[in-house]
Amino acid sequence: MTSLNRALVAIALAAVVAGGAAAALIVSSGHTPNKGLGIVLGLVTAWSFVGTGLYAWWRRPASRFGALFAAVGFTYLLGSLTASDDAVVFTVGVLVANVFFVAFAHMLLSYPDGRLRERWHAWLLGAGYALCVVGPLPQLLWGWTERMRDSCPDCPESALLIERNDTLRDVFNALTSVIGVAIVVAVLVILIRRWRAATAPQRRGMAPILWSGVAMLVLLGTALGSDAAGISRLTDVLGWLGLLVFASVPCVFLIGLARSRVARAGAVSELLMRLGEAPGTGTLRRRLAEALGDRSLQLVFWLEDKGRWVDARGHPFALPADDDPARGWTAVELEGRRVGAIVHDRTLSDDPELLGSVAAAAGLAMENERLQAQLRARVEELRASRARIVEAGTQERRRLERNLHDGAQQRLVALSLTLRLAQAKVHKEPEKAGQLLAAAQEELTLAQAELRELARGIHPAVLSDRGLGAALEALAGRAPIEVDLAEIPRDRLPEPIEAAAYFLVAEALTNVVKYAHASQAIVRVARMNGHAVVEVADDGIGGADPDRGSGLRGLADRVSALDGRMLLDSPAGSGTRLRAEIPV
Amino acid sequence: MNVGHRVLIVDDHPSFRATARVLLEAEGFDVVGEAADGASALTEAGRLQPEVVLLDVQLPDIDGFDVAARLTGNDDGPVVILVSSRDSSDFGPLVMRSGARGFVPKAELSGDRLQELL
Repeated sequence: MTSLNRALVAIALAAVVAGGAAAALIVSSGHTPNKGLGIVLGLVTAWSFVGTGLYAWWRRPASRFGALFAAVGFTYLLGSLTASDDAVVFTVGVLVANVFFVAFAHMLLSYPDGRLRERWHAWLLGAGYALCVVGPLPQLLWGWTERMRDSCPDCPESALLIERNDTLRDVFNALTSVIGVAIVVAVLVILIRRWRAATAPQRRGMAPILWSGVAMLVLLGTALGSDAAGISRLTDVLGWLGLLVFASVPCVFLIGLARSRVARAGAVSELLMRLGEAPGTGTLRRRLAEALGDRSLQLVFWLEDKGRWVDARGHPFALPADDDPARGWTAVELEGRRVGAIVHDRTLSDDPELLGSVAAAAGLAMENERLQAQLRARVEELRASRARIVEAGTQERRRLERNLHDGAQQRLVALSLTLRLAQAKVHKEPEKAGQLLAAAQEELTLAQAELRELARGIHPAVLSDRGLGAALEALAGRAPIEVDLAEIPRDRLPEPIEAAAYFLVAEALTNVVKYAHASQAIVRVARMNGHAVVEVADDGIGGADPDRGSGLRGLADRVSALDGRMLLDSPAGSGTRLRAEIPV
Repeated sequence: MNVGHRVLIVDDHPSFRATARVLLEAEGFDVVGEAADGASALTEAGRLQPEVVLLDVQLPDIDGFDVAARLTGNDDGPVVILVSSRDSSDFGPLVMRSGARGFVPKAELSGDRLQELL
């Protein structure tokens, strides 16, 4: 037996003992009328609250709602102290007899997880508990009302009686009744607001408990109001009606639970049948939404190769967090393999068995839709990558124009002006003209170097003429860090693959120099299983982010345009390894 | 010899500013200041009151055409000569509309060429 089960059994035994004590008190009472009826009604009501509460507790141990439900039953038993003929016990009984009303309101406000939503709800309930105890004090201090004396002529005197004072008692009685009505109205307002804000599945869950609670509070509030107004017969009738509704709450709660289970079981069998009729027709989401009664339901799919979730359109999707109060998710598997997830209203998480059976039923259809989503994700990726390639082309042209303008062109302008100056001085100041010609020569050398660098950036001639190996050797020779060419293919690869491999290595080495704080890089290009595998590894600080900066993304697009894929492994502190696999 | 015209040179390339200064001063112009962008061109023009502003079209902040329009907005504003390493045909009618007196390709800059436009 688990510790939870042991605790629940202990509480059940405590309820039996407390019920027995209450019954014994009533049996021995010299002033309680209809003892048999009182014992039966009292015990049925109290035990049904405790029993239902313990069942709810056992079903959902993480929720405090069951504990509160059971607590209402225990507080209800406190009223039996008024059956005592001992003045002190009787007086205590009167003081605590109404605590169960507030315990009940506490339970209502804490639905469904047993926790109060806002701080002021706790203050409101605190005021309610205080009022329960303070409410009977006017009668206990200044003597019973006529109605009380009539209804219980043999009740013991109050142990707190100071002196008989009808005026003081009536004034304070009216005051506490008014405060009581205000608290009841406030609780009602909270409950109705919560109902209006709830989603359809939430409403289905809360309806039985909420509406019986509202009915009881309305009756009680009216009874308090009529008591304050002195309409005693109405107070009695409403009080009894309220108690009747109260006694029925556990029953209504259990019926609601059973009905929703039966309805959901029916919906699941219908789902199974309809999924069998036409699997994978794109209507899966609607059918699951109908089966679970949650119109907000979403289906998401797991892409194993990308290691991420996507929605039906193939767009990346973030699953709700575990502590998300509004949304939850349930994984869907097929033959032990994850295919997707159902993202649903959080209230459905209260019924994991139902979600489990729906998820199991949806496995095959989900796999079909997953394949479609995978295709859409691929199309979406291609579209985005195509747009990026076009944009990268435009950017590249802009960069080239800018580099030409700011670099070689400016040098040629300066060269032209210097030559003009030299020409003007060649006869009058030949020495000055000589200096100017030397400066012009220097400017020309720099212009040539810049043009060479630019041309190499566009497409290195050695790559076209002598192949990838020679181009990489030249690249490694120019790099400011040590670059080890560990492996280079002997044969030429197709031109687009050589170009992609060259620029991949060039960009990777640029990044190594700029960001990695590395002392060495190792470059490897090999033909393996019909693929050209390009790898650049360094011994730097790692932590490279593939989503940051356009350089790596541009390379990934270039590789992906050749049907290849690029992988980046860059754990912080352990260097970076960039690997591309391109089919040959 | 071109006598005495007070010139402000505006260009973001220091090498051009330096060469143009030597060239113009050798040909008798009085280069009173230099500016590297549009904003400082406007400030320096107000402060130094040059007769001629040699203004590069492509500046890092305000476009040379806008700077020209602002400088020539008043009747007593300086004469603006636009320069660029690009050809004037790259800019279409923008040169005419900017209020500049004329355009000289940078590689063809000389005192005589400037004097022709003044």
